[in-house]
Amino acid sequence: MKNIVLHGRGVIGGIAEGIAMVSRETIQGWSGVDDRTGIVIEQGHPFEGMSIKDAVLVLSGGKGSNGWSCHFHAARVGGIGPAALIFPKMDSRTGVAAVVTGVPTVTDFEEDPFSLLNTGDLVRVDGDKGTVEIINKKE
Amino acid sequence: MKLTDAEKRMLDGEQGLLKQKAIEKVVQYANVLGAEELCKVTKAHLFCGSHPYLRAMNSDDFDEVVSEMHFCSSRKIIFDRVDHECYCQSDVGPMCPMNWQKMRVSEEEHARNMGYLKRYLDAGVQLVGTCIPYLTGFIPLMGEHYVSSESHAVLMMNSLWGACGHADGLEAGFWSAVCGRTPLWGLHKMDNRKGTHVFHIECPTETLLDWDLLGYTIGRKTPTHSVPVLASGFQRPDIVKLKSAFASMATTGGPEMCHIVGITPEARTLKETLGGNAAVEIIGITMDDIAESIDMLCEKGSGTLDFISLGCPHYTIDQLAQVANFLKGKKIHPEVELQVWTASPIRETADRCGYTKSIEDSGANFLTSSCPLTSEKVPPGSRAMAFDSAKQAHYIKPGTSAKVFYGSMEDCLASALSGYWEGR
Repeated sequence: MKNIVLHGRGVIGGIAEGIAMVSRETIQGWSGVDDRTGIVIEQGHPFEGMSIKDAVLVLSGGKGSNGWSCHFHAARVGGIGPAALIFPKMDSRTGVAAVVTGVPTVTDFEEDPFSLLNTGDLVRVDGDKGTVEIINKKE
Repeated sequence: MKLTDAEKRMLDGEQGLLKQKAIEKVVQYANVLGAEELCKVTKAHLFCGSHPYLRAMNSDDFDEVVSEMHFCSSRKIIFDRVDHECYCQSDVGPMCPMNWQKMRVSEEEHARNMGYLKRYLDAGVQLVGTCIPYLTGFIPLMGEHYVSSESHAVLMMNSLWGACGHADGLEAGFWSAVCGRTPLWGLHKMDNRKGTHVFHIECPTETLLDWDLLGYTIGRKTPTHSVPVLASGFQRPDIVKLKSAFASMATTGGPEMCHIVGITPEARTLKETLGGNAAVEIIGITMDDIAESIDMLCEKGSGTLDFISLGCPHYTIDQLAQVANFLKGKKIHPEVELQVWTASPIRETADRCGYTKSIEDSGANFLTSSCPLTSEKVPPGSRAMAFDSAKQAHYIKPGTSAKVFYGSMEDCLASALSGYWEGR
């Protein structure tokens, strides 16, 4: 069976694979991710207690503090950052986060990533071609 | 991307490595957003100081830290000047530069922060150190492009007088300050600022606490990428109420612009605010919604407490007068530490008005230029704490095992005297 491939606009180049963490809720900037451990600490968030290290984050956008990008930046510098970023629609917080983490990033999809991707899927993000391929769907 | 000749020359390095790196990041950012050109930035409010997130670098070398954490460069870049046409002011720092000892900060940490601040000052950033720059001389006018590291300040300056800014991120603030440019995108274009989600208010909007809770609740109910409009059912707010409402709205949500019909300049009528479009969604805010927010913010019941912090966002001189009048001639409970936060120019006025004396004589710590959230410092061993700010309570909760109470300034001050939270 052929893998599902989503098509969007690649905005930060490179190729990365990782387990998807998918949330329409986004993650708050301050007190969202502990930048020393990569663990999501936002209370009541579906990812609370999970690590963003090497994950492919699929988020609806940014919220909370303007210090949104800096926590992902600090996590990247500390070696606990995400492998790739997928933002169905870009905003100013996520735009800066994409630049400062420098990991493959895709946005503006033809398909709806939230209906096709689930947390736990293994995906390959190609920031040059602007594609996201589902390599292994979580059972 | 369409760049001017001056921008191309900057990108080619004609004005040195610092400007070249800064505009390179702005152009990258513009590409990510899908912007086609840049616009001139004339004001930048910057997150200066030896902030906790910089510890990721594990280095004491300012140039090394700033190269990576501001400009994403492993090659050393000397941050020694901002654009001469961009007025720059500092946001809050990681501690009070005057009364740092009252925050239990070590001599070494204080010295590091002062060393950092000196470098920002030398580069041309005025060290005001506040989250309310719009009350200390940082006032971009309608249509003026600015950057700010404080989320509620962006809501204030965009919504209340039509200035053009985004949440961006701390790094992007420095890029813009140095090269004087930001992507011409989103709210920087006047056509993109129309309201999308219409709110009818069915809960009380009389007090400051009411507005703080209203902002928190609207933030919870506003989807990403939307522009909320307060359409009806509210009492006329003042700037202090909006300061709190916008701080809590930008805590639970992502709005960078919020119209208030009959109050904000791009919302003379609901029709004008929506720009001829139908509302994406019409939402009522009820007493039940507010009760849900209170449950999220405040521990149930009553009990002793040992830490209270007021002044998020930094208190205005009027708010300090209220605190001083309440505390005058009284002593706070010996087991309670009360912090009151403001901006240094406002503290200067409080000194002259005698408010500082009343506050400090009560045993409270009167501090400037930071807050518990930004400094990541609450008294060690605290078992129960209280805040009059939803923003502060919301963000402090995940990082502490202490009980967190939330109420009005008056609730908090009464508890500071008694050492006891009476419950809601």
